[in-house]
Amino acid sequence: MQAQALNLNYYYVLPHIIVAVTGIMSLLFGAFNKKAHRDLVFINLAGIFTAGASTWKLWNLVTTASQDGVGKSLTAFSGMVVLDHMSLAFIFIFLIVAFLGTILSLNFLEDEDLSPEEFYSLLMFSTVGMMLMASSGDMVMIFLGLEISSIATYVLAGYRRKDLRSNESALKYFILGSLSTAFLLYGMALVYGATGTTNLESIATAIKQGTNLVTSQPMTVEILYIGVAMLLVGFGFKIATAPFHVWTPDVYQGAPSAVTAFMASGPKAAGFVAFLRIFVIAFAADTSFELNATWTSILQVLAILTMIIGNVVALSQTDIKRILAYSSIAHAGYALIGFLANDWTSVAFYMLTYSVMNIGAFAVISVMAGKNEQNTELETWAGMGFKSLGLSIALLIFMLSMAGMPLTGGFMGKFLVFKTAWDKGLHALVIVAVLNSAASIYYYLRPMVVLFFREGNEETPAPLLSWSAYVTILLALAGTFYLGLMPGKLFSLLEAARDTVALVR
Amino acid sequence: MNALKPYLLNILVFFPLLGTIVMLMYDQIVGKNEETLKKMALFFSSITFFASLPLIWWYNDPALIVNVPWVETLGINYHLQVDGLSLWLVLLTTFLMPIAILSGWTAIHDKVREYLAFMLVLETGMIGVFLAMDMIVFYLFWEVMLVPMYFLIGVWGGERRIYAAIKFVLYTMVGSLLMLVAIIALYLIHGENQAGGAKATFDMVTITQNLAQYNFLTPTQQFWMFAAFGLAFAIKVPLFPFHTWLPDAHVEAPTAGSVILAGVLLKMGTYGFMRFNLPMFPEAAHQFAVPIMILAVIGIIYGALVAMVQPDMKKLIAYSSVSHLGFVMLGMFAFTEMGMQGSLYQMLNHGVSSGALFLIVGMVYERRHTRQIADFGGLATPMPLFATLFLIIAFSSIGLPLLNGFVGEFLILIGTFNSTYSRAFAAFATTGVILSAIYMLWMVQRVVFGEITNEKNRHLQDLNLREKIILVPIVILIVFMGVYPSFFLNRTSEKVNEIRKVVETHKTTTPVATTN
Repeated sequence: MQAQALNLNYYYVLPHIIVAVTGIMSLLFGAFNKKAHRDLVFINLAGIFTAGASTWKLWNLVTTASQDGVGKSLTAFSGMVVLDHMSLAFIFIFLIVAFLGTILSLNFLEDEDLSPEEFYSLLMFSTVGMMLMASSGDMVMIFLGLEISSIATYVLAGYRRKDLRSNESALKYFILGSLSTAFLLYGMALVYGATGTTNLESIATAIKQGTNLVTSQPMTVEILYIGVAMLLVGFGFKIATAPFHVWTPDVYQGAPSAVTAFMASGPKAAGFVAFLRIFVIAFAADTSFELNATWTSILQVLAILTMIIGNVVALSQTDIKRILAYSSIAHAGYALIGFLANDWTSVAFYMLTYSVMNIGAFAVISVMAGKNEQNTELETWAGMGFKSLGLSIALLIFMLSMAGMPLTGGFMGKFLVFKTAWDKGLHALVIVAVLNSAASIYYYLRPMVVLFFREGNEETPAPLLSWSAYVTILLALAGTFYLGLMPGKLFSLLEAARDTVALVR
Repeated sequence: MNALKPYLLNILVFFPLLGTIVMLMYDQIVGKNEETLKKMALFFSSITFFASLPLIWWYNDPALIVNVPWVETLGINYHLQVDGLSLWLVLLTTFLMPIAILSGWTAIHDKVREYLAFMLVLETGMIGVFLAMDMIVFYLFWEVMLVPMYFLIGVWGGERRIYAAIKFVLYTMVGSLLMLVAIIALYLIHGENQAGGAKATFDMVTITQNLAQYNFLTPTQQFWMFAAFGLAFAIKVPLFPFHTWLPDAHVEAPTAGSVILAGVLLKMGTYGFMRFNLPMFPEAAHQFAVPIMILAVIGIIYGALVAMVQPDMKKLIAYSSVSHLGFVMLGMFAFTEMGMQGSLYQMLNHGVSSGALFLIVGMVYERRHTRQIADFGGLATPMPLFATLFLIIAFSSIGLPLLNGFVGEFLILIGTFNSTYSRAFAAFATTGVILSAIYMLWMVQRVVFGEITNEKNRHLQDLNLREKIILVPIVILIVFMGVYPSFFLNRTSEKVNEIRKVVETHKTTTPVATTN
């Protein structure tokens, strides 16, 4: 298709710009003022708040535009940037993740004497990358966002640079991440080769017509298929679906808890939104060749595998961070069900609840594990439950939320996904998912067994609660209960926003 | 008093929770004082009990209903209501709770604050389950109640407590998550049908009415939903062969936990059958009736036989629960007024008698730190009052006339005999009555009567004041329920007949196999 008008609308990317500028400011500010650790946090938080406010402005803009019937075509920069409720909803999630991540990191950086300015700017850059992924309407842009976000996260994973595990984590993440990026890029290239365009909506048109948009010749379907398969593999890596999940446990275990909390929530959600955009928009149309039916059936199998592998392997883990790593794999499986039900709102809500409870859980772990996070083996926690009752109960609530216990956000997330999927007729998937949820309660309660039911060493001191972890835990608790008890407002916002997004089918 | 009515149900649900919060805060302010904490818990649970008493007269009053929107986009309402079905179960809960708290007065010295907090949260959950009239709210209480029970077993339980606690949670979760799927499916189907201008809602009253009126579920849908709800409830009841979690949980739980488990938690399963399965899926209920009755009869006989050979008193009572709950299920699926009334009555009887038996075991365990029947003998000599009360409670469990058990079992057996189903069910179930007399009396005989075989038993203290306060109200209730059952049954008959009529009018002759 011909290039769209070069629409340089900076207002549409204002949140991105704000966050990027915040990152640069942290870097500069830190360079000139070595002792300004806490100021950096305030810079970051201020940036996040401003970005959040401008995102909210844009949300209202989209709402108004969609009422006028032009909501599906708010694009800028030649269609590189798409402005719709889906991108904005996910941007909100990234900002929340960045917000909690910033607060949580404060004490760990101070205690271990790691330089804060790079950390906070990397956190911001990673967030910008994710935001770009959410709002891109073009494969090139998605790739760009992905790289910005990933490279920053590779560094973050290795931030505890004197710790071998952290180094291992960063290296593994880097190598496997690069591999998956290569898959993605190759897939994008092949799709481009088949369709002659990188713009997602144009790809959809090309596939519908079955012609290459550049040559106007019939499309080479085989190339398209290989490209789509490569994209599936690439995104499978990013959101950690089985069988592309093997990097997750090692990386999550080795990285500092604050970073793990961030990267298990943010980049995963970003992977989901880009995945959604490419597959549900570009590869949606059913044509003479059954592209859509093919990838949906593959993804169904992947979703089932992901849930089962995530949950089953988690059962036998003894390290709390590995348990949560496998649980994050399983959660990707649940979210995929919302994906397959073709309902982005349930995926967004699920990722939001997952992010909040996951960050909360990792915040508790960062405290319980003690100095330099030496004690992540569950056995070392024996009998600590009544000593640090508040922390343990917070962990219990996050774990129950992940298991899908009512009153918590996790339940509402699962409930929404299951409801939507059942409505769309994905009965088998829902049944598999609930059986998996039932099994998952075993390992989510494992920490409680160790904390409360076992006798511990009387002399082990209760862990010291740093105030940054304290604030994070409180916020995450408030979020978990808010999402679980009063999701009505959010539901109606998302409900209204669902159809303003150009999801074909 | 009337001004209280709109708040009463909320008070019942949340007053215990308030107690939890106050106790946790109190500890922060004043410091640890076991005695005060226990008194506070007793206070909160007793107030809840007294607050629940007016329900006996008000239960049909529409002024009691609480119904406010919760999540409007999905049609979830916070809907609490009490009716003939839930009335006595709520009262059973509130009645047993102070007793359970008293029972742990001297036995629990470890982490008292947390123990009592969990007990009160548990009470909130149980009352919520019985009062909830919205499927999501019901599911919420149903699930949330697992957590305190899990901790009660896991922290204050016996030797194999971790295994028992996890088994209890896993079994329940599998069933209840499938129930969640059925709830979602029912909600979606009901919403799509728009029968009678119905909006998508999780409201149980509305859905039950619309289902009865428009009957928009296909037989296959009914079949699967009955199965999904039924599995969750059958695990909780527990219906043979889903009962294996029960002996473990009962034996490992602390006395108060066992009392609540036997007294109330198991009733949530049978209550669920009456509340959901029968009125909502009546055709499927007919299809499932025979298999369930067969399982119930197997449970009656199997539970009794296994109970007979148990050397451990707690285990014996646990298996007797399997047997007694079999009666409840049998009577319910007879679909006759007598059977169903008896079933409901037997739920209460079992709650009172089994709860009391667990209390009795707890009392001897506190004195001797063993529950093996073989370690006892001749307890009547040092503990005459104990022996008397034990005997009365055992008789009530067996079903001696003039005591409560008799009324329930008699109604169930007659109801089953007169039902359209084979009379063999009643005949086989009757053997359960005989067997129960055997294992109960044999246990009583070996524990209470005869010569004192163990010198340690010679100087045991008889019941102290606290234990008298625990047991005497129960024994009074046992006798009262035995001689004046109409006080209870009059209040349940309307609702039970309503359910029975729904089931009766939807009778089809389709056998199970052809519906798939």
